[in-house]
Amino acid sequence: MDKKLVIPGEFLSDDPSLADEGTYVENNKVFSTVFGIASFKNRVRVVPMAGKYIPKPGDMILGVIKEVTYSNWIVDIRSPYDGLLHISEFPRRIENDEMSKYLKLGDSIMTLVRDVDANMKVELTLNDQRLRPIKEGRIIEVTPSKVPRFIGRSGSMIALLKNETKCNIFIGQNGRIWITGKDNGMDLAIKSILKIERESHISGLTDRITNFIKEAKGEKIKVKKPESEGILDELLGDEK
Amino acid sequence: MSKPEKLIENGIRLDGRKPDELRPIKIEVGVLNRADGSCYFEFGGNKVIAAVYGPREVHPRHQQRSNSAVVRYRYNMASFSVEDRKRPGPDRRSIEVSKVSREALEPVIFQEYFPRSAIDIFVEVLQADAGTRTAGINAASIALADAGIPMKSLVSACAVGKIDDTLVLDLNKDEDNYGQADMPIAMTPDGNITLIQMDGHLTKDEFKEALEMAKTGCIAIHEMQKAALTEKYSAQMEGENNE
Amino acid sequence: MSNEIIAELRKDYIYNLMVRGEREDGRSFDQYRELTIETNVINKAEGSARVKLGDTHVVVGVKIQPGTPFPDTPDQGVIITNLELIPLASPVFESGPPREDAIELARVVDRGIRESQAIDLSKLCITPGEKVWMVFIDVHVLDDGGNIMDASSYGAVAALLTATLPAKRYDLGEDTPVPLRNVPISVTAVEIGGSIMLDPSLDEQSIAGTKLTVTSNQEGDVSAMQKSGVHPLTTEQINYIVDIAIEKAKEIREKFLVI
Repeated sequence: MDKKLVIPGEFLSDDPSLADEGTYVENNKVFSTVFGIASFKNRVRVVPMAGKYIPKPGDMILGVIKEVTYSNWIVDIRSPYDGLLHISEFPRRIENDEMSKYLKLGDSIMTLVRDVDANMKVELTLNDQRLRPIKEGRIIEVTPSKVPRFIGRSGSMIALLKNETKCNIFIGQNGRIWITGKDNGMDLAIKSILKIERESHISGLTDRITNFIKEAKGEKIKVKKPESEGILDELLGDEK
Repeated sequence: MSKPEKLIENGIRLDGRKPDELRPIKIEVGVLNRADGSCYFEFGGNKVIAAVYGPREVHPRHQQRSNSAVVRYRYNMASFSVEDRKRPGPDRRSIEVSKVSREALEPVIFQEYFPRSAIDIFVEVLQADAGTRTAGINAASIALADAGIPMKSLVSACAVGKIDDTLVLDLNKDEDNYGQADMPIAMTPDGNITLIQMDGHLTKDEFKEALEMAKTGCIAIHEMQKAALTEKYSAQMEGENNE
Repeated sequence: MSNEIIAELRKDYIYNLMVRGEREDGRSFDQYRELTIETNVINKAEGSARVKLGDTHVVVGVKIQPGTPFPDTPDQGVIITNLELIPLASPVFESGPPREDAIELARVVDRGIRESQAIDLSKLCITPGEKVWMVFIDVHVLDDGGNIMDASSYGAVAALLTATLPAKRYDLGEDTPVPLRNVPISVTAVEIGGSIMLDPSLDEQSIAGTKLTVTSNQEGDVSAMQKSGVHPLTTEQINYIVDIAIEKAKEIREKFLVI
């Protein structure tokens, strides 16, 4: 078998050269460090069932402003380590006393981890056209180690969600997911994502989620009046 | 209850157990929402709940360590957990238990993965019946795993004692009160002892035998800890073969 | 209570739902989350209860011991209520002696029981001037999912309803049940953008301007009230809350009559 549920300290392999993340080597043997799913394809690694987000340079994440100091915004990035967004990393030149005008306590941002030093000082930036403050939509949280599952092997899972719910979905490496769209679509997208998180370790996930979504949309058709145009309209709901 | 005539007769203890028998254990994993990891653990008449928060920011900041996480352990008994109501708040005993329990778990935690952070372990005793510290350590191990904290292995704990000159595993309250020795230990599955305390009277040979008995108990407990963690997920994973 | 930052986006979402008459978990404004009460869960306590109200989880133990009465009430028993917001229950609870939040909660739970005269304290007298029963109500919060007040109050009442005076242990006769003659029920409401919602979830509680708890007794009379939080309430809002709290309490009290 190429996948197994393991606990910390469980023996995985006699070949230390195969040891990858989630493992440690002792006495020339490889053991698991976490409670999670061990995979043995090529290298030996364990994906934890739970765990905090530890930032790496290059990660695109979603943060919330928690403090404004003289020249930095301190950002909650859902990690034991706060992110620091220096005033110079804001896309426009602004004055120090204007900082709260642009980003204040409680504001959400899509940001990039520029650098993480040896002391775990995390520097963020907004200097990239992909990045921005977030003013609409919803943000939900999932386990950071399960993020790849959402992306699917070739982005297929997220493409499926986007198409079927007609929502824009951004998955932050820190396990925060931003969704924008019409209310019905967002509700369905969120329900699907939470289902993926709960069942991420069970095979056949893509099919199950596809069925789940189709069923949810099917139900909506039954509920609405028969004169409605089609699935798209049902999902989008009435324009107010 | 005043001291019984005998604590063990014909190899059977007052609660019906044989000398090397553990009390019944019930384990529930992930019972709390707000904690990062949690475990409810029943060990005979003991009911404890362990919660782990971390790694997280260190407060107060001066406790921060630049190159590793700081592990903190708080063992606390609820006022209603014992016969005579206990005043709330830490007393000298809880502080000592917290210290040795932390020292029992620290060696297995990969603290260096999380500099400048804290891994906080909280153990609340809701009902006490001798062996709360070992129940706490068992529960804390599981809660750490549930929180995704990287460790070398789980830690398992139990106590051995002597009653009526017989070595027995896992003392209950009466055996602890009226017995001749009490020795809690904690160990990792590869046989390294991370906690050992003792009070009472044991000869050198009795001690060696007691240690072996405790190790057997710990190994049995480790199997139960592993089962509790995996049972939630393993049934669902049948047939996992791609992705 | 909370010093976690709630994202504006999240506040907006809950506010927008409120404007449409909805709540995040689909409840109506006057609906309570699922409430389960288990009694006799701690064998070392003379009375105990475990309450789950939505995601909030508390355990209450009642310990009863003989003690000396207060000098000004020599023939009355003593009730002492304590509540611990232990750090296990939330990332924002700290170790140490109870601070204002925990103390306020304990005192309001206590007030509900005391002012409704749920326990006839004169029946707790053993020897006037010398010995009375001391009833210690200890609330241990295990998981904060919002509205700890009601969960704690229900736990205290359930524990008392099933508690016994341990006379035998102290050679004072046979064990008897604690003489409880009323069942006070607390109902907590929050105000969000002018709307009143009952049994706030954790986020609703954090976003709300203020909270009002109303405890009523079996007769439908008010025994205790507490406004907690900074935002003011209008007279209309308060009257409205008192009305629905008394109604809601009747509904919730049903759960206690089968304990």
